Amino acid sequence: MTRRLTLAFTLIALSAGAVPAAAQPAPTVRPAASRSVQIGGYGMVGRLNLVARETFEAVIGKRSGPVFGGGITMGLPLGGLYLDVGAWRFKQEGERVFVTGSEVFKLGVPLTVTFTPIEVTAGWRFRLRYARLVPYVGGGFTSYGYQETSTFAGVGEDVDDRFTGYHILGGAQFKLRRWLGLGAEFVWTTIPDALGGGGVSQAFGDTNLGGTSLRAKLTVGR
Amino acid sequence: MFVMGSWRTLGLAVRLAAGVLVVAIGGWTAVARGQMSPVRGSAKRMVQEAALSAIDRGLRGQDPPREARTVDPAAQARADRTGSALPFVRGSLIVKFKAGTQSSEVVAATSQVAGATTSRASWANFDIVDIPMAADVEAAAATLRARANVEYAQPRYLNHAMAQPNDPLYPNQWNFPALDMERAWDIQPGATSSIVVAVLDSGAAFRSGTIRYVSSFPFRLTPNGPTYPALGPVDVPFAAAPELGESGSTRFVMPRDFIWDDDLPVDLDSHGTHVTGTIGQLTNNGIGVAGMAYNVRIMPVKIIQGVWDEVFDSPHSGTDDVVAQGIRYAVDNGARVINLSIGRTVGGPAPVVDDALRYAVSRGVFVAVAAGNTRESGNRPNRLADIGPSLDGMIVVGAVGQSLESAHYSTTSASVEIAAPGGDQRAGGTSGGILQQTLDLDLLETYKQPVSQYGPPRADSFAYYYFQGTSMATPHVSGFAALLMQQGLTNPATIEAAIKHFATDKGAPGRDDAYGFGLINPRASLRGLGILR
Repeated sequence: MTRRLTLAFTLIALSAGAVPAAAQPAPTVRPAASRSVQIGGYGMVGRLNLVARETFEAVIGKRSGPVFGGGITMGLPLGGLYLDVGAWRFKQEGERVFVTGSEVFKLGVPLTVTFTPIEVTAGWRFRLRYARLVPYVGGGFTSYGYQETSTFAGVGEDVDDRFTGYHILGGAQFKLRRWLGLGAEFVWTTIPDALGGGGVSQAFGDTNLGGTSLRAKLTVGR
Repeated sequence: MFVMGSWRTLGLAVRLAAGVLVVAIGGWTAVARGQMSPVRGSAKRMVQEAALSAIDRGLRGQDPPREARTVDPAAQARADRTGSALPFVRGSLIVKFKAGTQSSEVVAATSQVAGATTSRASWANFDIVDIPMAADVEAAAATLRARANVEYAQPRYLNHAMAQPNDPLYPNQWNFPALDMERAWDIQPGATSSIVVAVLDSGAAFRSGTIRYVSSFPFRLTPNGPTYPALGPVDVPFAAAPELGESGSTRFVMPRDFIWDDDLPVDLDSHGTHVTGTIGQLTNNGIGVAGMAYNVRIMPVKIIQGVWDEVFDSPHSGTDDVVAQGIRYAVDNGARVINLSIGRTVGGPAPVVDDALRYAVSRGVFVAVAAGNTRESGNRPNRLADIGPSLDGMIVVGAVGQSLESAHYSTTSASVEIAAPGGDQRAGGTSGGILQQTLDLDLLETYKQPVSQYGPPRADSFAYYYFQGTSMATPHVSGFAALLMQQGLTNPATIEAAIKHFATDKGAPGRDDAYGFGLINPRASLRGLGILR
């Protein structure tokens, strides 16, 4: 997974530097405050760091992993205001355990956990003198799809649920072309009371399914 | 020491006491026969090592009026309801028509077998076709399969959990389904031979041969009972229980007899063999019954005596020191789990045993101990269980019956830490006990017959008996511990914590004196915890 992430970043970097700037026509920089609705899409890769460290380290052996996703974004004719709807996926495999005190004993029963959050964000894009770079901040709510499946599960023993939380983010987009850009953003998400009702999360007292993520985005459109 | 099988414990104790009394009256002193003299004039000599064929005398009821309840209720109910013991449902079959099949073609097809489609069930991409109850389902399915527009057609075969043992008497073992063992065995199928479980008991039927003993004094079993004569030298044939493993097989490791001071812990009582069966009865072999951890190796260690050991004047009895010896022997010879379905409810503390138990746990050995069967006779706890609550890695086991309620005999005390099926024949009749193969009591306990029919015992004949007692509950926990060890929990304290954590709470919320932390839940324990469940 790490190799795929590295490859993705590399491709993005190569695409950014593939054409010497001097050989290109100067991009037509449009005002950030457009008078029309601007619609674009993006794909993203990133890395999620979960706040429920002990829980996830016990079951999947780590607290972080790659995420892949995409979304659509819509710039509104209200200064720098924009709306964004994105979705991504985090999937890891581990095994079921027994916890006593702070000790974790693996039981060899395979387990797969999958997050499929949908994020709805409203934010503000800032206009700089250097118009190719567009910093932004935003926030919104997250509908966090959560699946947990394991071998030997009986009826009702797997988890397929959806939790609601909130996120704030900040980042910047760099316009490579009029219709193409690269970006990076940092997101902080909180999904309170999603965990802790049972399982290892209850044993460790972890209740929040949120965390932080650092994402690279390839944007298409205006 | 006495065993914890209540169906005969009390009577046995009385008889033993009476026997000793009679012997004493007959001129034998306790010192002469007792533990003070490690070697008495006793004799036990192997006279034949040939592997005699064990005799399997099948399922035996203890109580004739209740003997009929020996079949699987569900199977019988199904047979009664449908009039069929076929492996599929009569009167219907499963059909999938190819895409694009017209309804007229469906009608034509089903009419060929005098059938009609029912409404399609949710999440089904096939149809159920009702056919006459008297129709040959397999033939009807074949008829439909031959049609060009049918993708498949088959009878509605009855399914069951894949780990359900094929042992024919398994349906009589209510205790395993009650613990959801079929699904537990899906996760951990019977452990492996890397786990050695020591059964410290009356011995086990683990090998074959003939031993010559000497019966040198008359005795009675009850004060007013008949006097049984001395038999002189007697040859006692014995055999490995067919359901435990072949004589001389690697199933059994490091056998030891602390009653006779040798390495031939032959069971002359039946208790140890029954207990051993619950732990490790061979399973999925198409014979008899099942056991909890059916792949483990068994270490038979004889630390208590049966009536015949007394009659044959064994040099030792099951005193605390012998028990402690047995525990240490098991620990030092590779046991990972020790089963103690024994104990005593009279006398003071047993520090020698406590010390041995601490030693066992400190060496990574898990110990399960019976709580006792004295609820209706003073409710005195097993003294060997005294340190259970304070020793992580040793667990004290109470018993439940078929209704999963605390058994009428199961001692309630602060020592009880967990509960497991031990049977309750007062509530459930004969079949409310725990079924296992053991020695044929008709041929073993000849001292229960009239004097004219009294003779040497045979320990080479076997039958399936329902016993009850915390003795029967304890091996469920020992076998369970072996499964957990195989699953990766190797520390005795961790095993105890897991057993308690996943136990199904019974009785008063939280721990109580009847069930401890509740009824063992092997499947949940072996499956462990996920992130959210």
